[in-house]
Amino acid sequence: MGEWSSRVIPIVRGLCLLYVTHKYLGTTVVTYGPSMLPTLGITGNVLLMERISTRTGKLRPGDVVFFRSPENPRRVVCKRLVGMEGDQVTYVVDPKNSDKCNTIVVQKGHVWVEGDNIYNTKDSRNFGAVPYGLVEGKAFWTLLPRKDFGSLAPKPK
Amino acid sequence: MRQWRSIAKEAIDRASIIVKFLCLLHVTDAYVVSSNHVLGPSMLPTLNITGDVVLVEHLSHRIGKLGSGDLVLVRSPLDPNRTLTKRIVAMEGDRVTLSLDPTRSFSSRSLVVPKGHVWIQGDNLYVSRDSRHFGPLPYGLIEGKVFMRVWPPNSFGLLG
Repeated sequence: MGEWSSRVIPIVRGLCLLYVTHKYLGTTVVTYGPSMLPTLGITGNVLLMERISTRTGKLRPGDVVFFRSPENPRRVVCKRLVGMEGDQVTYVVDPKNSDKCNTIVVQKGHVWVEGDNIYNTKDSRNFGAVPYGLVEGKAFWTLLPRKDFGSLAPKPK
Repeated sequence: MRQWRSIAKEAIDRASIIVKFLCLLHVTDAYVVSSNHVLGPSMLPTLNITGDVVLVEHLSHRIGKLGSGDLVLVRSPLDPNRTLTKRIVAMEGDRVTLSLDPTRSFSSRSLVVPKGHVWIQGDNLYVSRDSRHFGPLPYGLIEGKVFMRVWPPNSFGLLG
């Protein structure tokens, strides 16, 4: 009994520490999909996400953020933050079909997110501004693929 | 020098017991059951205006076992630092009919709750700010289900 517990307890402690880091400091995230081209590749990137900026309210437009999808609470989505609450955001409503633009003011307690690849993304133009409570963390470093190692690129013009 | 080291070691040992206990408390608080102080007039007569201490369980919303009629604790979509206590009136796919201004007229409009959202309302419709004002609430903002009240002692018991 004593030997068994002396092996399990360090493992449990390590898992607890890992859990606390994952929940409050940051973690690695694997992304996939075309909505953030050319910043993130279609086959997948491994990014480092930190949760301190979201908890202290230090997010800025231009940050790549992860948030829980308003359409499916079990999915975490990665997009770029374009507007904070109170900002005026101008966006192209349907870039494949027309050049028509719309301007809105982001309501209190919400943020406006858009994918970098506006032709193939579901973002705030589809499901509206995202409540800040759903934002999980901010991506600050790319681990894989090796050619993209380093901090993330700013929004393409 | 040796004395300081032994004092420091003892202090760390004692502190680590407290830290382990706080960790256990935090994990229970976040994932099993927590107690919360709720106040305000928006849930009269179910909850008191001066404040109640309620027990909130954090399991049902993770396994998708919430339904209409449940009292829930949610993070406010308008202010991410505040939590609200309201009742789920409709789940995704349900049709909701709301009167536009209950104090003035009988007119109403109806909408379907979109996927991944719920419709919450306070029991006291006249003073509650809820989905009738900020729209359907994304399911990800739900933090737990209120199931019991422990204070004040004369209204101790299960809720909902």
